[in-house]
Amino acid sequence: MQNKEAFIEVIKGNEGLIYKVTKVYANTREDAQDLYQEIVYQLWKSFDSFRNDAKISTWMYRIALNTSIAYLNKEKRKGNHLPIDDTLINKTVTHDTLKDEQVEALYAVIKKLDIVEKGIILLYLEGNTYDEIAAITGFSVTNVGTRLGRIKQKIISQIKK
Amino acid sequence: MELEEMKALWGQMSAEVEKQKAITDSLVIKMTRAGYRNKISKVQVPETIGAFFCAVPVLYILINIQQLNTWYLLGCGISSVIILFLLCFLSLRSISKISGVNISKNNYKESLLQYSKAKMQFVSAQKVNFYLSAILMLVILPVMSKLIAGKDVFKQTDVWLYYVIAFPFFYPFSRWVFKRYVKIVSDAENILKELE
Repeated sequence: MQNKEAFIEVIKGNEGLIYKVTKVYANTREDAQDLYQEIVYQLWKSFDSFRNDAKISTWMYRIALNTSIAYLNKEKRKGNHLPIDDTLINKTVTHDTLKDEQVEALYAVIKKLDIVEKGIILLYLEGNTYDEIAAITGFSVTNVGTRLGRIKQKIISQIKK
Repeated sequence: MELEEMKALWGQMSAEVEKQKAITDSLVIKMTRAGYRNKISKVQVPETIGAFFCAVPVLYILINIQQLNTWYLLGCGISSVIILFLLCFLSLRSISKISGVNISKNNYKESLLQYSKAKMQFVSAQKVNFYLSAILMLVILPVMSKLIAGKDVFKQTDVWLYYVIAFPFFYPFSRWVFKRYVKIVSDAENILKELE
């Protein structure tokens, strides 16, 4: 790859994005390590094809979400696991215990959603507009709105349980 | 918790996460290298083992086919070769469909659609493979018996006894195998329905 430094900067500048996608899609510590590594690898593989006319975060979400689906669909095989620091996959959320619990509860609720809904709610919470969510997911803007409404109902009913 | 509250909480968490920079230049490089090595080993090892188990008996039968000197042994030999080819082809095709999703070009919906369809095809291929393997067990035994030990099992009545004893176990075993795939198929169908 010609642009190694640029790639490293992109990863360093967006490590939070990779962390959050990993946290939503992986269920165990080992899965989180593998998925994090796999996302970085897939981003590296596609970096040369990234065109600057798109937002870097849009491109990163697309690759990270697709990698997560791929990771969930592939049979797990023992590969070359790089032991990565826990701080990469297990960050201290806030310094407020109550908030930490709320964040963990939020992740738990998101994890219970199906795979289609997980992607949409993650992108919504990340502050993407309906247009951006539609561009990343391939659903129409109206469909994104409808699905978010449904997800909201689902989350409310889960919290009430 | 309303969606807006969730969004606010998520925003606070994101701000905290952004402050905690943990990744280093060398770690990024190590991850890409480890990912590359994994791809090589993941692709090569299982596919090579699978191809080896299919290719060796195929070559062995083809090289020694003139020793199958009766019409029924020849029939079993040809059937074994065809089934071994089919087993190899079907497995590799379904695996390549699952691995063939374009992560950098596809959007989320396209990837989910492709994976769900590929998974359903994978299950169908596994079912076909299961029945083909059962037939292979039947047809390869006389062939190998002739080629390795020089015996024509069709002339030895006691060998058929083993088939008779083994057959009742086949049904519960096949039920057990297919039960494993029910969840995969229903999950894939649910995703397809959700995407419609």
